[in-house]
Amino acid sequence: MSDLTRRGFVKNSAAATAGITVIGALLSEEAGAKTGEPGEKAVVAYVRDPRKGEISVLTGDREVHVHDRKLAAAIARAATDRR
Amino acid sequence: MSSHREAPAISKDPVADNTDTYAFVSPDDPGTVTIISNYLPLEAPFGGPNFFEFGDDVLYEIHIDNDADGRPDITYQFEFTTEVRNPDTFLYNTGPITAIDSPNWNRRQFYSVTRVDRWRQRVLATQLACPPCNIGPSSTPNYEALASQAVHGIAGGHTVFAGQRLEGFYVDLGAIFDLGDLRPLQNLHLASMVPPAPGVNDSHGFGVHSIALKIPISQLTKDGSVPTDVMSQKAVIGVWAAAKRRRAVVREPGFAFEAGPWVQVSRLGNPLFNEVIVAMGDKDRWNAVPASEDKLFLHYVQHPELAGLLPVLYPGAFPNLAGLKAARADLVAILLTGLPAGIVPGFQNFTGNTYADQLRLNVAIPPTPAGKVNPLGLVAGDPAGFPNGRRVFDDVVTVELRAIAGLTYPLVNPSYTPDAAVNAITDGLTSASTSYLSQFPYLGTPQSGFATTPLAA
Repeated sequence: MSDLTRRGFVKNSAAATAGITVIGALLSEEAGAKTGEPGEKAVVAYVRDPRKGEISVLTGDREVHVHDRKLAAAIARAATDRR
Repeated sequence: MSSHREAPAISKDPVADNTDTYAFVSPDDPGTVTIISNYLPLEAPFGGPNFFEFGDDVLYEIHIDNDADGRPDITYQFEFTTEVRNPDTFLYNTGPITAIDSPNWNRRQFYSVTRVDRWRQRVLATQLACPPCNIGPSSTPNYEALASQAVHGIAGGHTVFAGQRLEGFYVDLGAIFDLGDLRPLQNLHLASMVPPAPGVNDSHGFGVHSIALKIPISQLTKDGSVPTDVMSQKAVIGVWAAAKRRRAVVREPGFAFEAGPWVQVSRLGNPLFNEVIVAMGDKDRWNAVPASEDKLFLHYVQHPELAGLLPVLYPGAFPNLAGLKAARADLVAILLTGLPAGIVPGFQNFTGNTYADQLRLNVAIPPTPAGKVNPLGLVAGDPAGFPNGRRVFDDVVTVELRAIAGLTYPLVNPSYTPDAAVNAITDGLTSASTSYLSQFPYLGTPQSGFATTPLAA
């Protein structure tokens, strides 16, 4: 995936579930973080099973479960993209 | 050891490694219970310049079950923060630390205490100071007085201490892990190459990091009472401790970003449970699951591997044990449910039929007077000791070895006769192998790095 930028991630998320909406809001806040350090609201997305579209989004002390086959597949493709 | 480095995963994460848990009616304050949870196994006292400390990225917990379902009804949470006064020196201290707020102490640690009653959460204290480690007479003169400044009275009548202590658990590790070649019994061992000798306390002089909490009994029981009837179910509480880490970690140059809910990586109720009872392939899983799911590990307790090994390692010494094939209901009661009424006259610490590794403390049993204490606890007629909770000096290695060898099986099957060798089983140590305090936090003053001689010297 060539567009796995922060903007692209959020854009892709827009069509997904309410859980993904949470990601977008959090990433907007994170944009103000100091260079080199994650903001307090940075998130970790763990693609549990790309084929099933299961994504765990981790932030602060929370874990949000997202089911989005398209997004999971896009992240999986990016993980194998050698460019 | 008791639970030091007892499972493959946690042995690589000492800051979160729960090594011992103690729970007893405070001998000098019998209206309270003291619970101590230890972490960081085998601290060499001279381990600077980054001396041992709790993990800022670990959630430490003490759990209490007061309604016999194996689940925590009360949880005390401890979270630590490290503050560095001067990042431009490599020194832990830039001069003598004579007070807990000394400006010479460069790397200090503070913590908060939170009590969770099921879903209700209350912060009992914040910014409580830990003591420094015991470095030596030039850096930490009069260490005992210094450490005493880290004993804090906090909300709800609690008293708390978190910091370095002398290891209180004594064990001849070298002998036990050399195919169970207990030194006093070497003449009976299958493969022993040397004559019998006194036991060696291999944890001697090592430090550990302790969280000690003294709690009014009325804050622990389900109905807020202070039970006096030993046979009442309300008198029994289950106690265990744990450590948790964040679910995700992303490593960046110089720091790590962590996110997600806390995930349990270590726990401990009874000494030696995960270490000796649970098999290698299940140890990491045991550390990860809640105590209330210990039915998963019931078969290990019913048929402990060590009970099968003893007759092999000591040929001819345990013929009755060798013939004992039935499920060990005595060990299940001691370790997973508590002893119901009618097993030991005048005693019970039963918490129901949910199998859960917990220390089970009957708070209606008063502390045994100092002159009458027996470190072998209940099996030696001292009901205030293990497995009625666990005191800091209890000889849990000997008690558990003897229990597994069949000593306690007649409690559930009076027709069984333990082998004569059972009462000879010991790793050859006593509570005199280390030292303790007679008052809170009860575990002894840690040895200083300056005064410690390395093993080989």
